[in-house]
Amino acid sequence: MTGRKLGVVVCQCGGNISDYVDVEKVRAEAAKDGDVVSSQVQMFACSDAAQQSVIQEIREKKLDGIVVCSCSPKLHTATFRAMAERAGLNPYEYTQVNLREQCSWAHTHDRAAATEKGVRLVRAGIAKTALSQPLEKMRVETLPQTLVIGAGVAGLRAALALSDLGISVHLVEKADHPGGQVRRWGTLFPNDKVGQALIEDLVGRVTARDNIMLYLNSELVEKSGRVGAFSVTIRAANGERIPLNVGAIVVATGFEPYTPAPGEFGAGLDGVITLPELKERLAATAGPLTHRGQPVRSIAYVYCVGSRQPAEEGTRRTYCSRYCCSATSHLATVVTGLDPKIHQFHLFRDVRTYGKYEALYERALKSGSLFLRYSEEDPPAITRENGGLVVRVHDRLLAGEEVEIRPDLVVLVTGMVPRANDDLVRVLKVPIGPDGFFREVHVKLRPVETIVDGVYIVGTAQGPKNVAESVATALASVSKAGALLLKGYVDLDPLVARVDPTRCTWCGDCQTACPYGAIDEVEYGDRHIAQVNAVLCKGEGACVPACAKAAISVQGYTNEQITSMIDALAKEVA
Amino acid sequence: MKVDTGFLDALKLGGEFDARLCINCGTCTALCPLGLEILPRRLFRHALLGDRERVLGETDAIFSCLLCRLCEANCPAGVHIAENVRALRAVLNQGVQGLAEA
Repeated sequence: MTGRKLGVVVCQCGGNISDYVDVEKVRAEAAKDGDVVSSQVQMFACSDAAQQSVIQEIREKKLDGIVVCSCSPKLHTATFRAMAERAGLNPYEYTQVNLREQCSWAHTHDRAAATEKGVRLVRAGIAKTALSQPLEKMRVETLPQTLVIGAGVAGLRAALALSDLGISVHLVEKADHPGGQVRRWGTLFPNDKVGQALIEDLVGRVTARDNIMLYLNSELVEKSGRVGAFSVTIRAANGERIPLNVGAIVVATGFEPYTPAPGEFGAGLDGVITLPELKERLAATAGPLTHRGQPVRSIAYVYCVGSRQPAEEGTRRTYCSRYCCSATSHLATVVTGLDPKIHQFHLFRDVRTYGKYEALYERALKSGSLFLRYSEEDPPAITRENGGLVVRVHDRLLAGEEVEIRPDLVVLVTGMVPRANDDLVRVLKVPIGPDGFFREVHVKLRPVETIVDGVYIVGTAQGPKNVAESVATALASVSKAGALLLKGYVDLDPLVARVDPTRCTWCGDCQTACPYGAIDEVEYGDRHIAQVNAVLCKGEGACVPACAKAAISVQGYTNEQITSMIDALAKEVA
Repeated sequence: MKVDTGFLDALKLGGEFDARLCINCGTCTALCPLGLEILPRRLFRHALLGDRERVLGETDAIFSCLLCRLCEANCPAGVHIAENVRALRAVLNQGVQGLAEA
């Protein structure tokens, strides 16, 4: 009993929780706590109607703390903090208890045990809230300047859109020319735009803008600071180091086409090329395809080279590269247009021409392409015999019978792999996903944001995408950066470390433990103590166990709160 | 089997043979009033892959077809089955029966 007046809301999540956890029992157990003066069960706590009724309850019963037992805090912390604020409560007197991802979904086989765990989790949430303090957000200024890394189609488009919003852009490109991969490709699906023309148009518009600075042969080498005010250093072509101050960073570093290992699907044999190589050849020629001066009369395409590999130890390429099926189907119609008599055989695993790109597949079928399905366990074999290429594949539509094709050209439809840019990853401190691409916070809810506030990942730096999707993510990051920078300030969570000056004797252990360089040594009367730079602090808490004097703690997660949560979790459930 | 692109070219010349849209569902085979088992999905697959021997071996079936179009009317992929059979007959007439083009 602390004398607080707390409210508890238990969410059913439309069955996601209530199918596996007895929510009524959880509510009843929560209500037994001396501090809890209001408790209710809601079908969907996040719905407008439910939020409205909780707000009413907070006002009527004059609650000074609220616990919502629903889904992951990742999903709805912001929702319910805003709800608490609307009800006149300090948003940090609200606690989210994860009753879905960490309870009902994890224990679908045992309702009684899941319910018991649910009771313990809610008790811990109540214990934490009972000791909560009202906290104020920290308001810091933001600079209307951005850094865009990579001048490919996504980076160029992001730069233009930021410039449109009146935000200055420093556009940094590692190569000696802008345009990335798209520049080298000819006609693109779905609407036959020409890659080079697309890039030339974008580059022309970018160079005409006064508020876009393009740096070629340059790299980002240092980054410090925080959202709204990063200090970055660019190493330019001549080795000069250019310091810049920017409010947000857009990472558009793109992908690398997969390079097959020698011998993989016949890679290295004369006449075996990859999809990007074929695209480059087509972009460079106006007439029918030739190989070593001879006309190409038949082509065999092998799909999924380098993509969708079995999940063995160390294999990162288990993902689908998304663009290849559509690109190859489209390419086949371009090839037919150059030579209507050509024979094209597509050896595929699954045709994933998703959405409206299915029309490309149909067009390829109608324009003379033949599709043969092979299985993952039984891939096509490509050899050179008697001076010609031989492709052997088992056709599923002929009950696995071996089909022998002698094409003039074999095209390996290679997927996308992440760029090898470990140095940049180290500078940015943005996490990498299991596939090796930059990782977003949430693929659907926060697709271009990273755990580093103010750093956005767009285009194929984040994962395989086609040109349209890359541009869409580029523009999404512009909306995010625009909303952040044009307001002129950003409110940061006050869940940061704080030093008790009466206890601290300055040993420096917290400074060593902090990965963000957020702790400074300052004078305090006649002695030295630690001080937290709240803007740099991420509230991670590495400093807390390092302190022998227990002089440092994270607001919202104080030692007292954590201890009382552990006690509540350990208490027996009747 | 070996893909014979020369046979594929001959098929194109013989008429508008095109069965690429076939999804191999078997509706045609199930509906055939003559119960021609080979017709058309398997036969067409052989033809599409340029398997000259296999197609020539089915001469009887190809000429038994009534061209009633029951299969074609019900084909979910919209393959012009009867036209394709006629194209195959044209190729057989030229190449196998030794009949001169009219």
